Amino acid sequence: MAHHVAERPASPGPAVPGGRTRPRAGGTGLLSGPGARGTGLAAAVAVLVALALASVLIGYQTLSAADVYAAYAAFTGSDTDLVVRHLRVPRTLAGLAVGAALGVSGVLVQGVTRNPLGDPGILGINAGAALAAVVAISVLGVSTLLGYVGFAFLGAAVAACAVYAVGSLGPDGAGPVRLALAGAAITALLGSLTSAIVLRDRASLDEYRFWIVGSLAGADTSALLQALPFLGAGLLLAAALARPLNAVALGDELARSLGTRLWLVRGASALAVVLLAGAATAAAGPIGFVGVAVPHIARALVGPDYRWVLPWSAVLAPALLLAADIVGRVVVRPEELQVGIVTAFVGAPFFILLVRRRRTAGL
Amino acid sequence: MKPTNARAALSRARSAAALALLLALTACGGTPSSPTPEAAGDTVRNCDVDVAVAGPPERVFAAYQPAIETAHALGISDRLVGTAFLDAQVMDAYTGAQADQEYYPNLPSREELLSHEPDFVFSGFNDAFTDESFGTRASLRELGAESWILSPLCPSEDGRTDETIDPATVTMDSVYADLRDLGAVFGTEERAEQVIADMEATVEGVTQTLDGRVAPEDRPTVMIGRPSDEGFRVAGGPDFSTEIIDLAGGVNAFADLDSRRNHTVATEDVIERDPDFILVDVCCDAQMTSADAADQIGQIMDDPALANLTAVTAGQVEGFTFADRSAGVRSAAAVATVAGIIHSDLFE
Repeated sequence: MAHHVAERPASPGPAVPGGRTRPRAGGTGLLSGPGARGTGLAAAVAVLVALALASVLIGYQTLSAADVYAAYAAFTGSDTDLVVRHLRVPRTLAGLAVGAALGVSGVLVQGVTRNPLGDPGILGINAGAALAAVVAISVLGVSTLLGYVGFAFLGAAVAACAVYAVGSLGPDGAGPVRLALAGAAITALLGSLTSAIVLRDRASLDEYRFWIVGSLAGADTSALLQALPFLGAGLLLAAALARPLNAVALGDELARSLGTRLWLVRGASALAVVLLAGAATAAAGPIGFVGVAVPHIARALVGPDYRWVLPWSAVLAPALLLAADIVGRVVVRPEELQVGIVTAFVGAPFFILLVRRRRTAGL
Repeated sequence: MKPTNARAALSRARSAAALALLLALTACGGTPSSPTPEAAGDTVRNCDVDVAVAGPPERVFAAYQPAIETAHALGISDRLVGTAFLDAQVMDAYTGAQADQEYYPNLPSREELLSHEPDFVFSGFNDAFTDESFGTRASLRELGAESWILSPLCPSEDGRTDETIDPATVTMDSVYADLRDLGAVFGTEERAEQVIADMEATVEGVTQTLDGRVAPEDRPTVMIGRPSDEGFRVAGGPDFSTEIIDLAGGVNAFADLDSRRNHTVATEDVIERDPDFILVDVCCDAQMTSADAADQIGQIMDDPALANLTAVTAGQVEGFTFADRSAGVRSAAAVATVAGIIHSDLFE
């Protein structure tokens, strides 16, 4: 999935003017200097913690911090205790894990393809994972997350390859907008296949809309624990890729001359993206736009250095996801808006802005 | 809603006359296979659509459980040209009659439907008559097929669905009125009266047993629904469940959700409302029975978040079927079933 724009030095996409030569203007971001970036990151973590707390407190019933404390320190088995322990906290932890996975996989896709519109949601990877999981569940009868997460990985990988194959048709090769369009088309196709299976599965009626628009509402601790090793492996792999991605950003030739093994970076990135996007989708359904928006925000703040962009994205993405989830719980009470719908509301305009801005560069 | 709408009948007679004139003028007169029902001029109103009464339909397509069972109950099994989409096993009395029918597990396409050349399309739910499915009732009429929606689900306008159900129609009396009207349409009035009398007797039996024994404030709250990926899928106010629970001496715990029949609610919402009973309404297979709810009942009983629910602690999570919460000929039996569950002390 990941490789492509870079393999075609003759065809920089329309949104990457000037192609391979970096560094470019504005390369430092709003926060310059390791001190500011570090302090800023600490502040971002504080915001994330605050949002996580809000996610535990805000819901059908608003709880107090004392309720949450009591649920663990002085558990009595009251309704409030059960809501905190078995609903709010698992949901919040799922938001943190899934958010981090989406943000980091967005960074990896954008970095290794040098495509500013890269996002596992936009490139069809999440939709592929969802379709494969649905096939595993409804056709093959797999019911545990551990059982279908493997299918999700496979679906993610196949969808990514399909999007690249479609996106690179034609004389101009795989430009960013072209890939994004191919991704949108494949996402629509895969999504309708998922709908068709889900709707035809008569036992389900529309209970499985979760697989069409992602949601954190069904999160439970056991599924989260099953997804965690894959997410952890993906995040570790991503952390190891920070330096090589910096080299890739310099262009293929320069990166090679610096001793970077491009195929290894691309392969490892692809593996990490499949792990992260596949596990996130298996746990929460396909959630779009977080992966495209957050890396841009991170770069705007700390510049192009992946050693900063990755941790910042890993913090900002779950913050965005949790905020979206909280909004979804509040706006249509007593029902809930799925978090995938909220992120689309916020993310779609951002995406259009990116496409329209010719000088997206920065990658 | 009933009965004859004189103006519509008049306009129908007028268009029939015009058609006859046209046929005579063009002399292309292949004899119509059946006498045009419009000529008789009598209509019955169903969900704001006038349905011709004269010339009983001979080729009936029944979509969904309530329509299929109602057709068998009214004694027109031999006039069915196709049946589609059962939610559960048909009532015992009709298993034989249904076994002989052509059956589609899902609703067929409009084209497939029309290939049976139905002159009457009878649906248990309103979503069959939308552009995505069979087409609007008006569009079927143009092709010579009258249609019927069981009126507890009347949409405010032809082609619309659950979002526009008229709450005033969600009553057992609507079911009786429908049976009476359908008896007139099919020419099986006596059979219809018998079915109605049986249903009334069943409901009356429940009412009598409850009478004076359950104070309004003691009526248990009942949730009819099932677990979903995002909480629970429950029957809201406009669903016929509300009427069934009410006649059975209970209160629908989600009656205030009144925008649609079905709602996905958060698990926290269920905890907050703490229903006394949960009836797990398994659905959508011609072999389904309430015994198939066992897995989902287990899921609810074992969910640590639900451990404090009255329904869970009192062991009042019971199997049910989606078919039993639908409006139709089984609704009276469903009332008795629910009453037997939620007032088990009063019923044996």
